[in-house]
Amino acid sequence: MNNHTRLLLVGVCLIAGSGLLQAQTPTDAVMMKQRESCLAIMYDQGSFDEYWEGTNLRTNATIATVRRTTILPMIAIGIMDNLNLIVSTPYVRTKSDEPNGGKFQGAKGFQDLGLVLKYRFLNKEMEGGKLALVGAVGYSTPMTNYLSDYLPYSLGFGAPEVSGRAIVQYEWNNGFYARGSFAYLWRGETEAERDYYYNNGSFYTAWMDVPNATNFQVVAGKWFFDHAFHVEALYNATQCLSGDDIRAYNAAQPTNKVGVAQVGVNAQYFFPNIKGFGVLAYYSQCVSGRNMGKFTNIGAGLTYQFKI
Amino acid sequence: MKKRYTLSFLGVCLGMLFVVSCDRELPINMSYSHYQYASLDPNGGSWSPIILNAADQIEIPEPADAGSAEYQAELADLKDAMSGLSSQQRTAIDYWTNNPSIRWMEIAMELVAKYNLIPGPNPDGTYTLPSPANPSGPPPFPFAHPAYSCRAFAYMTVAQFDALIAAWHYKFQYERPAPSQVDPSIEAAYGDNSLPSYPSGAAVVTAVSRDILTALFPLEKDYLASRAEEHLSSLLWAGEAVQSDVDAGEFLGSEVAKLALARAAGDGMNKAQVDKPVSDSIRDSAIQRYGWSWENQEIPKRPVGLAPFYGKVQMWNVPDVELTRPGPPPAVGSAEYEADVEILIAHQNNMTEEKRRIANYWQDGLGTYTPPGHWNTIAFEYIVKNKMNPLRTVRTLAYLNMAMQDAGISCWDAKYYYHYPRPIQMIPSFKTIAGTPNFPSYTSGHSTFSAAAAEVLSHIFPEEGEIFRQWAEEAAISRVYGGIHWTFDSEVGLEQGRDVASYTLAVMESDGSE
Repeated sequence: MNNHTRLLLVGVCLIAGSGLLQAQTPTDAVMMKQRESCLAIMYDQGSFDEYWEGTNLRTNATIATVRRTTILPMIAIGIMDNLNLIVSTPYVRTKSDEPNGGKFQGAKGFQDLGLVLKYRFLNKEMEGGKLALVGAVGYSTPMTNYLSDYLPYSLGFGAPEVSGRAIVQYEWNNGFYARGSFAYLWRGETEAERDYYYNNGSFYTAWMDVPNATNFQVVAGKWFFDHAFHVEALYNATQCLSGDDIRAYNAAQPTNKVGVAQVGVNAQYFFPNIKGFGVLAYYSQCVSGRNMGKFTNIGAGLTYQFKI
Repeated sequence: MKKRYTLSFLGVCLGMLFVVSCDRELPINMSYSHYQYASLDPNGGSWSPIILNAADQIEIPEPADAGSAEYQAELADLKDAMSGLSSQQRTAIDYWTNNPSIRWMEIAMELVAKYNLIPGPNPDGTYTLPSPANPSGPPPFPFAHPAYSCRAFAYMTVAQFDALIAAWHYKFQYERPAPSQVDPSIEAAYGDNSLPSYPSGAAVVTAVSRDILTALFPLEKDYLASRAEEHLSSLLWAGEAVQSDVDAGEFLGSEVAKLALARAAGDGMNKAQVDKPVSDSIRDSAIQRYGWSWENQEIPKRPVGLAPFYGKVQMWNVPDVELTRPGPPPAVGSAEYEADVEILIAHQNNMTEEKRRIANYWQDGLGTYTPPGHWNTIAFEYIVKNKMNPLRTVRTLAYLNMAMQDAGISCWDAKYYYHYPRPIQMIPSFKTIAGTPNFPSYTSGHSTFSAAAAEVLSHIFPEEGEIFRQWAEEAAISRVYGGIHWTFDSEVGLEQGRDVASYTLAVMESDGSE
């Protein structure tokens, strides 16, 4: 989902956004049938004690270990068999571990409302398996007046985002599958609470340009037990296309050129005896980045599928 | 059927793109154009300068007569320079305007923001201080904190003011007309202000700014030289001055800059950052006197606070810093102190969006142009609104920035004399939304800078009512909302700033311009 990259910008490798919810994420190829819905609630715990200042990986005792907890309610609705709507409303809480040298207050609150329309262009049974082509457009915008210019504690980057994504998946008859997706993320501007900032030069405005970005993802996984359980490995990379670097020992800001690559594993299980319920869990680790915390994320969630 | 849905899906995609495709140019400087000055101040050459002994202390050659072959040749060169301007040259003319002090202050503020980065710890937990002897560092020199920046702004504007007083003296002594008045075929880009053109005031401002800033930001020498070169060239492209006007102005500006830098070399700034034994002895005096002391809370702990002897730096208009030293803060543990602890905890637990906005709006912290920079941008707005001529502009800025540096010096004197601890040091598990600086709490720098600035601006722009003072009070309380100052730091800081400004105003009122 596009919240994914927003969280990234403020410092989360939140794999929750990038493909764990087999039933309903913007980056996978799974669709709800018409009049079917899937409700999910996710809990994510991310933390970092090193971050990339530009491309230099460093520690900073002013912020020590930064923790970021996200509770992510989402719903996917089958408008038609080939057209789904996904709505999400993440709640985020941030803080530094004690002791830290900065003594900064963390932040908490609802972040951005995310809306994604997913359309399946192709779902073709072939001799050895099944090919799916899916497109997704997303829009998100802050739900509350949180301060984006308060890194690394800000809840999000505080700007509207429109995303366009293409997804291709092939699933073999033996249960193995591979998926790739590519997205372009257009971001607007975020309003700081000051009317001057430095971004490789002076800016006399409260508005900050949040850089556009691309997201690229590849997933390999396998279904077991008659599609009741699957595991997958994931590589996810997001790269801002412009922006400035964090300056030496200085705070990050929403104008930064954020980049990150992460690897992770996801697993999901649908209870055969409890109708509609499933559980999932994941782990991910940032492996490279720029102007970004080197996050480790662990998360778990519950999904419930039902007819409208 | 399917095709229809495909098409509507694509339609939705395009529709959503419009939502964020409104990228616009964000302003990178103050938006103003050249304007007709409200007055010319023909007697400006008789105003009292700050550093110069007299307006004619620096001599410039007598200009060639407008009818002379020498001047006519210059005029021909000027027409040549003005013909076939590129779009880049036209952009430069529009950018610099006929009140370029504001542009040079923007350059100064940009350098402050660029260099306003506190050095981080080395891998072994020690800290290295920036050194003018090794400007490249790491860390690079300077660390342009508020005490450094207000001094930079003060020297730059004082030197501009003195140099323009001298320029005004010669302008009205020689009364060489502007090129467009000598030759009506010349169309001056900034219109005709009827100001005598020798020496060029803009060239004076350029030379002063380039030379002062180069001394204070040595790594920016080439950048500043290129900005100055463009500005000096643009005076010809704009038809503002002939080469001899520019040359005389550049010479005059450079000479005044030398005098200002000579004062700077001996003003005590190079002794403001002390070593650990001296720093410890300053702290120990406070413990002996009052029983408390401020301690840096960072990890690793910084061994020395920022510029403990900044309070000993030479002041502009206050004869002795102790004249403006406030009384002591409430004793730690006293009823008044405990009441303040409660106030700070209450703000922490009841942070509203309005308090947060105020804390952030006036924070002007690391990586920005600092509070004195903020007050300069406020001044620019009213300077342009009142169509001040270049001389009156730099008078405003010089007194504003002298007042702010004197306020800073007085504040630092109190900070290290009283050595009062910060809220995060005293209140267990207290959290802030602003960064706690590396110096004692009492009094608040933002409050003293802002009150001093507000008094000067209120004096110069009386028709604006109480707005500047209201902003100063907002800036002062912003530090309490930020969680980094006690309320008495801010309240006494405001009084201290006003006290300092009374000395500035006394000098200002008798400088011959009012």
